[in-house]
Amino acid sequence: MTWLFIIGVFAVAGAFYLYGRRKHRRESGLTNFQRHIDALSPERRRESFDRVRSQNRDDDQWGRR
Amino acid sequence: MARDLAIDLGTANTLVYMKGKGIVLNEPSVIALNRQTGEVLATGREAWQMIGRTPGYIVAVRPLRGGAITDFEITERMIRLLLQRVGVSRFTRPKVVICVPSAITEVERRAVTDAARRAGAQDAQLIEQPMAAAIGADLPIDEPVGNMVIDIGGGTSESAVISLGGIVALEAVRVGSFDIDAAIQSYVRREHGIAIGERTAEEVKLAIGSASPTEDESQAEVRGRDLMTGLPRTVVLTPEEVRFAIDDVVTSITSSVVRCLAKAPPELAQDFLVRGMYLVGGGGMLRGLAQRIEKETNTPVRMSNMPLEAVVMGAGHCIEHYDALKGMFMGARR
Repeated sequence: MTWLFIIGVFAVAGAFYLYGRRKHRRESGLTNFQRHIDALSPERRRESFDRVRSQNRDDDQWGRR
Repeated sequence: MARDLAIDLGTANTLVYMKGKGIVLNEPSVIALNRQTGEVLATGREAWQMIGRTPGYIVAVRPLRGGAITDFEITERMIRLLLQRVGVSRFTRPKVVICVPSAITEVERRAVTDAARRAGAQDAQLIEQPMAAAIGADLPIDEPVGNMVIDIGGGTSESAVISLGGIVALEAVRVGSFDIDAAIQSYVRREHGIAIGERTAEEVKLAIGSASPTEDESQAEVRGRDLMTGLPRTVVLTPEEVRFAIDDVVTSITSSVVRCLAKAPPELAQDFLVRGMYLVGGGGMLRGLAQRIEKETNTPVRMSNMPLEAVVMGAGHCIEHYDALKGMFMGARR
């Protein structure tokens, strides 16, 4: 009887663990995709590109001097 | 602490983007070696000036052909020197993202990453050139719309349809602007009987080369060595002759664009008619090429704002947001 109870507790705990992991994986998939898409947004890219554009402007100014 | 780097390891030029700083190096992918001792004599612009003008014991080579490493050892040495020039040492090991043609083989992929790791990188990741080009050309690839980018480099031409941050259709050919130079060289040799060098052929392409007739066309004087007499001789080339000489290469590029369009899902294909296709890369700057592609595909073609830097800027953006965008790297999707 005790053995059956222990096995039952482990089985329930295992089921909760697997459900939690699956849910976490599903959520992390969503979060990762959202992060990925956000990182590609024009606003996020502008920061990197403005740096190069301002660098080019500086180079042009030096070239003209 | 080293700053992470993005490298556009092109057949023609190598550009390096440093995290937080922007483009820190832009030089031809050329290395000059002492043939006897194997010692590196020059790299980049200095080595480029030596091409075809070296004494017997010096050899100036491009270690990449068709976007692939033809000489692993020389490429590794070139990457090591490039990294040294931007401040990478044995103690500062940066993360590196390298742009490579999408059509490279598994062996070539490993060759590039190994070369970067041996040259001092802590971790080397690869990203497909058209994907980096689309990011760098500022296309709205985060939206569920069709974006088409045509990247014409020195050794490869790649067309890709991108939507929602991923490649939907892709077509690549190992043909690029160096093949245009080679076609001009072989035409002049065959039709005019004179031998010209790689750099002279490139100058002809820049001066009068075009993929379709343009306004303000002029002729060009070309100096070379007469194949019969061995003496220097000058001939005059017309733009029509150059167009004829390079037609096979241009046709091969435009055919690959058509094949890529044919692979795109219809929902995305209709977006190109409105938004157009974007041309990047040095080869894309060939006069009349956009018009020729436009004519053969009935789709508008637009030139990117910074065609030469688009690829490294895209890879640079990936290094700025490394964790968020690491799913884009070539190994991550396998």
